Amino acid sequence: MGIAIPSQPLRPPQGRIGRLLHNERLILGLAGIVVFLAAWELGSRAGMIDRSFFGRPTGIVEAGIKEVQTPRFWGDFYASVTEFGIGYLLAILLGVPIGLAAGRFRRLQYALDPWLNFFNSLPRIALLPVLVIMFGVFGPGAKIAVVFLGAFFSIVIPTMQGVRTVDRRYVDVARSFDASERLLFRSVVIPSTVPFIITGLRLGIARALIGVVTAELYTQTEGIGVLIRRATELRQGDRALFGVLIFTVSGIVGVEAIRRVEARFQKWRPMTSLERR
Amino acid sequence: MTVGSQGLARSRTPHPRRVSVAFLSDRVRYGLIGFLIVIPLWELVVRLGIVKRVTLSAPSIIANTAINDLLVNRELWPHLFQSSQQFFLGLGLALLTGVPLGLSLGLFRRLNYFLDPWLSAIYATPTIALVPIIVLVLGLGLESKIFIVWLEAIFVIVVSTMAGVRAAEARYLDLAKSFRASRWLTFTSVILPSSFPYILTALRLGTTRALVGVVVAEFFAANKGIGFFINFSGTTLRTDRVMLGVIILGLLGVLMGEGVRRLERRFERWRPEFN
Amino acid sequence: MQAGLALEARNVRMEYVDQATGERLLAVDRVDLDIEEGQFVSIVGPSGCGKSTFLKIVNGLFPATDGTIELRRPDHGVAHAMVFQDSSLFPWYTIVDNVAYGLVCQGVPRKEAQARAKPLIDLVSLTGFETKFPYQLSGGMQQRANLARALTVDPEILLMDEPFAALDAQTRELMQAELLRIWNEAHKTVLFITHQIDEAIYLSDRVIVMSARPGRILADIAIDLPRPRKLEIKRSPDFITYADQIWSLIATQLKSHLHEVQAKPGESVA
Repeated sequence: MGIAIPSQPLRPPQGRIGRLLHNERLILGLAGIVVFLAAWELGSRAGMIDRSFFGRPTGIVEAGIKEVQTPRFWGDFYASVTEFGIGYLLAILLGVPIGLAAGRFRRLQYALDPWLNFFNSLPRIALLPVLVIMFGVFGPGAKIAVVFLGAFFSIVIPTMQGVRTVDRRYVDVARSFDASERLLFRSVVIPSTVPFIITGLRLGIARALIGVVTAELYTQTEGIGVLIRRATELRQGDRALFGVLIFTVSGIVGVEAIRRVEARFQKWRPMTSLERR
Repeated sequence: MTVGSQGLARSRTPHPRRVSVAFLSDRVRYGLIGFLIVIPLWELVVRLGIVKRVTLSAPSIIANTAINDLLVNRELWPHLFQSSQQFFLGLGLALLTGVPLGLSLGLFRRLNYFLDPWLSAIYATPTIALVPIIVLVLGLGLESKIFIVWLEAIFVIVVSTMAGVRAAEARYLDLAKSFRASRWLTFTSVILPSSFPYILTALRLGTTRALVGVVVAEFFAANKGIGFFINFSGTTLRTDRVMLGVIILGLLGVLMGEGVRRLERRFERWRPEFN
Repeated sequence: MQAGLALEARNVRMEYVDQATGERLLAVDRVDLDIEEGQFVSIVGPSGCGKSTFLKIVNGLFPATDGTIELRRPDHGVAHAMVFQDSSLFPWYTIVDNVAYGLVCQGVPRKEAQARAKPLIDLVSLTGFETKFPYQLSGGMQQRANLARALTVDPEILLMDEPFAALDAQTRELMQAELLRIWNEAHKTVLFITHQIDEAIYLSDRVIVMSARPGRILADIAIDLPRPRKLEIKRSPDFITYADQIWSLIATQLKSHLHEVQAKPGESVA
């Protein structure tokens, strides 16, 4: 007598619908969305969830449709986009070159390190009161500055680390072929650093969005953040959450856009088993 | 100067002969040089009136205010006490809820699939956008502030912990399976140790986020706390106090970050490299 | 199951679906194999032939699509234990905790498990390294610990999946000699997977040659070399005759399946 090891027949999914139903992730994900939306909607209709605070899914859609027909919304939207766009762009334009330089020149890095560490550990939104004094409450200056500060450190630090962690072997290869400093930088340092820069860009988006919201809530001049605050004060939960939803969508779109950029730059890199899954 | 993989020269042992000449490492020396350029320059532009005192204040004024507010009239301490209470309660709650949630989401694939759309959406949202609603619902008391800190910190904790469970390598899982380890033993002997570095990363990221939460909460819903101190000083044009608050916040951030990094190094004795 | 047998495999088949292409692939086909108690049996074959897959089926890590495998139910200890390809020691455990792991899995309290692991640590000559972490050991020493870990649970049959593949040539030779010494002392049945022909001959009583994918048994060659074997035996004429015979079997497989091997590198299905 012995121990028998059971065998198990293997049945791959058959047909198109079969494979679709086999996609557990999709089905459960959809189920998750539907269950929560339904609970929210029904809870709100039954009076268990206070609509003036938490809105309800259909209400958010209605509020959104109404909102996009008002010129004021587009004014707010434009203000937010401007703050985000200018602040984030400035952060890239300054963050990447400074990060590359600090990674390349050790002494520069040593000189900058304490400052970078300090500002990176500091919630940059704490600087809002000073920035408002510097740039004034009205106008986009202070808000752009917060967005910039939010994103800048998230970009500069990974970029610097990227240069610092270039694989010694590739540097040796370039050196052994007598590559010039410039060629070394272009052929080895930059390609190895790109993934780090992209990580920085991705973190930067989140930080920049935080900057936009906080600055707008704080200054209360214009922007989607102001829309949220105004709607909340008027107990228009649906409208406030429509404003929040705009930020959610911006965050998702931003990260997805970076992913596209990454895919384009990373063609030479073999997929890791994790990504393939 | 070469571009290399030596990274930060933390573990470099100084050459014995150079010790007497350069008792300060390059790192410290150039760090000091940075300070010696920035601080006097700041002082100078304000003294010479190139920048108005109210916009930037000046290092000497801030130092003076620091002595006053911390040592003489001790005005700052109650604010700091209030903030640390919110910080630790909020972060503690975020860890107590976030780590188990992250572990479950990593362990139970179906639960993960079910909640994934919502988690991704909230993760992509700057949760500060919800602050007005939170204040409206929970009021101006401690609850709303702790909730804001919790909300800021929990998602990075969940996501990082979840990544830790996913990082458990197949070969270790195979091994546990081949020895017929129970589910619980597989969890404690493979999955927890594998995800531990990630949980510490979660703690580090959560700390940063919680600090953001504290400031935001106190900006919008407080009459006490370091965030309130900064904000109030700003509206009364006391830039020196704003700067002092900011500096204290930043230093606390650096200190806690360094603390967690130490913890990370200590708990990773089994790791061949620390980077 | 016949008396005196440690393992009896009948008509084992393993099919799996390639996640990327949706294609159904046959990894192992119609494998019949009997192993007598106390025998040292090796399976060699071109890479990708499914020999590791077969071992994992025996170990219960994969289910077979078809066929049966029976293992002798032991009077004491467990039916089987696996020595993995890479060391797969837990980097977060010390050596003694790693070696004791199999016992802990059976519910033995940690202290007792450590005590019972000690003689095995001595057997594989790691005395004094109990409290070290794996990264502090050389590759050869890690594999000794790996072997000790499998032996602590007192398996009826020891399954070894290319355990020396990652070692350098000299260390590998020394470890082969060590393994024979330990095998001699521990009296275990061994099923050993390798792609190294000389390793298989040197260690084994029987060498099973497997075909390229799908893996089938091409030949079952009894190695009639005297024991105990010294490393010098690898240069004896008999040894070289065996090596030539096995190599020519594998070479034909390699030639006829060259495209497939190139298109589908990699050994395991995981």
